[in-house]
Amino acid sequence: MYEQFRDLGRDLFLAGLITSHGGNMSVRLGDRLVITRRGAMLGRLQPGDLIETGLDRDDAMVTLASSELVVHRAIYHATSALAVVHTHPICATALSLVEDAVVPVDSEGSYLLHRVPVVAAAQTVGSREVAEVLPPALRNHRIALLRGHGAFAVGELLEEAYMVSSTLEASARILCQVRAFGENRLKEYRDGADRYDRW
Amino acid sequence: MAEGWRGRLLRVDLSTRTWAAEELPPALMANHLGGRGLGIALLRASGRHLLDPLDPGAPLIVAAGPLTGTAAPTASRTSLTALSPLTGTAFDANSGGPLGRRLKGAGYDALWFEGRSEAPVVLAVEPGAVRFLPAEGLWGLGNRATARALAAQEGPGWATATIGPAGETGSLLANVAQGSRFFGRGGLGASFGARGLKALLVRGDAPGAVADPDGFRFVVGECRKLLQAHPVTSKGLPQFGTSVLMKVMNAVGVLPARNFRDSQSALAEALSGEALADRLTVGAKGCPGCPIACGRRIRLDGEEVEGPEFETLWALGVDLGLGDLEAVARLNRLANDLGLDTVSAGSTVAAARELFDLGLLPWDPLAGGAEGVARRLEELARGEGPGAELRHGSARLAAAYGRPEVAMAVKGLELPAYDPRGCQGQGLAYATSNRGGCHLRAYLIAPEILATPKLVDRFATRGKGGLTIVAQNLNAAVDSLVLCRFTSFALGAEHYARLLAAAVGVDADGQGLLTVGERTYTLERLANLERGLTRADDTLPRRFLEEPLARGPSHGQVVALEPMLDEYYRFRGWDAAGRPTERKLRELGLAPRGGEG
Repeated sequence: MYEQFRDLGRDLFLAGLITSHGGNMSVRLGDRLVITRRGAMLGRLQPGDLIETGLDRDDAMVTLASSELVVHRAIYHATSALAVVHTHPICATALSLVEDAVVPVDSEGSYLLHRVPVVAAAQTVGSREVAEVLPPALRNHRIALLRGHGAFAVGELLEEAYMVSSTLEASARILCQVRAFGENRLKEYRDGADRYDRW
Repeated sequence: MAEGWRGRLLRVDLSTRTWAAEELPPALMANHLGGRGLGIALLRASGRHLLDPLDPGAPLIVAAGPLTGTAAPTASRTSLTALSPLTGTAFDANSGGPLGRRLKGAGYDALWFEGRSEAPVVLAVEPGAVRFLPAEGLWGLGNRATARALAAQEGPGWATATIGPAGETGSLLANVAQGSRFFGRGGLGASFGARGLKALLVRGDAPGAVADPDGFRFVVGECRKLLQAHPVTSKGLPQFGTSVLMKVMNAVGVLPARNFRDSQSALAEALSGEALADRLTVGAKGCPGCPIACGRRIRLDGEEVEGPEFETLWALGVDLGLGDLEAVARLNRLANDLGLDTVSAGSTVAAARELFDLGLLPWDPLAGGAEGVARRLEELARGEGPGAELRHGSARLAAAYGRPEVAMAVKGLELPAYDPRGCQGQGLAYATSNRGGCHLRAYLIAPEILATPKLVDRFATRGKGGLTIVAQNLNAAVDSLVLCRFTSFALGAEHYARLLAAAVGVDADGQGLLTVGERTYTLERLANLERGLTRADDTLPRRFLEEPLARGPSHGQVVALEPMLDEYYRFRGWDAAGRPTERKLRELGLAPRGGEG
């Protein structure tokens, strides 16, 4: 398991999806979860950077766990996710500041994501407010954006959550580029594209 | 009642030859959807789940789903729920074919039948009418002759479910045929036979409707795009059928041979999907509305018939040491006509051979090669001759010889073609399957070997509980929508939920659908517990727990079941004995002792 966290953390950093000490990841193991340590550098994870604690019950390890533990726990309670990846993607986060949803126009994003909802909270880091507003958005989507903060992705496996995180940022970059060209110049190529914003 | 459902149940009593239609409450349908979910909810709420499976009062429930008959991909399947006479558990079998579509066309979501006809009978259901047709002239016929005779007698437009001689004689390996597709496992053919029911006919063409036609068309289109983009559903299965798996499983050392004494076989090449395609296949065959078309049409002895699936090529070929593809295809044709579950029948012969090797069984079940096995299958189905000793499956056979560990079965159901020592999660999935040794409750082969959705370490144990549970819940939901499992290679819960929402016009999301699946799985678990099953039944044949594989890519492995089982129970919200906690039942809206129906 450590190797998986280490490799994906490195990839997240190299892909520019997180800052030096930003982002976090976790997996659920029954009534336990393993989450990255508060302040850990995901690009340089060590075995001691993985913290195991209860899904419901606090223990001493919560003092070391990521400050987003409350959000990860809330996601696991509200969904059947077995893995959560939280990233700080630049373009997707920028779009979250001006949109209520990110609707990809590229092929991969259209297939995999269709539409990514944006939710908002006044207190955006590790807050109970986020723990309340974010999980409902993940009941029917694999990734959602927290306005101005970043993305939370879910999957059965860390790699799945990483994949949709990566896809979202690629789609967001393309979308920003298309807007720079002038969105009215977009030549639609997809069947049913007018319905993607209702996905 | 929302679009997508008919809101009506047809109850038939074969003893009194009476019938009545009744309303199905909207809340019941919303909580259980249809198919497998509706079946177990009706069964447990009736309290009849405590009966002997062959008691006339124990019902069989044929059910469609909210998407049945729509344009949703693979929406042409049917669910059959009953108590299994083979496993003694609650059991759902699922078959492709038009039965469910016709049932909805006749105005019903489900058909419940019980009782026992004194004389062989055919039950014919059509809009506003039920007929009981004499079947003495059909008794003793194989499935193909029975279907032909009924078509000649009743004309076109009927969906047909029949049993062969195996069901008539009460073999616990008997299945129910829907043309060339089968409600394959669990011995439900014996349940038909014990009730004197030779066949079920259903006719009905009333068109279905969906609540949001434009939205539904859009979601169907998106789902088809994903199915087309996935190599398993767009290439592997359409080109080679399910036997595309043969060489893959052999390569990683999980293809059982000689009753799971080996995990690789030199016969894999000769019985592979590629060999089938090159030598016998004349085309693909799909259920109505299926974009995958995993079935094979093959030419055999001058006639075109349905070809063998992977599990059959394994059970009647690899596991028995028979490598002649045409001979195995003939065994498949024979077993289908006799109405035998090919997996259980082949595995029982394999177990018999091991008993022979141990000097316990006084006759060799493989004597005479494929022709000898054909004779054994005939004897098994008709209850005559030496092969009749095998007619109730490997668990009863092995127990009778004092060597229960020789039966490669879980809860009495023979295991399919994957040795769990090479895929730990599949071992947990077998052990916790609530209908016994089955790969269809949770197909952990997908992440452990086929890299779907992503590849996981197949020899690792930690984390497999969660993967198994999510797969079990999703499959239960898909079975309640009554769609084909193969769609889940490409689709996730969120896609199924959008199909449902557009079809029935209610709010539905992926997590809600998974909760329906969990509710279904939990109801089945409760029914089994109430029938006396315990944690001790959530286990595997001793071979997998104590005998490391001697060679091959899975060399040295045994299944580390207990720690995975502990994690699984905790994750499920069950106690250490495997009983759902009151908190979990409340969360799912289930009553501790039934009544939620």
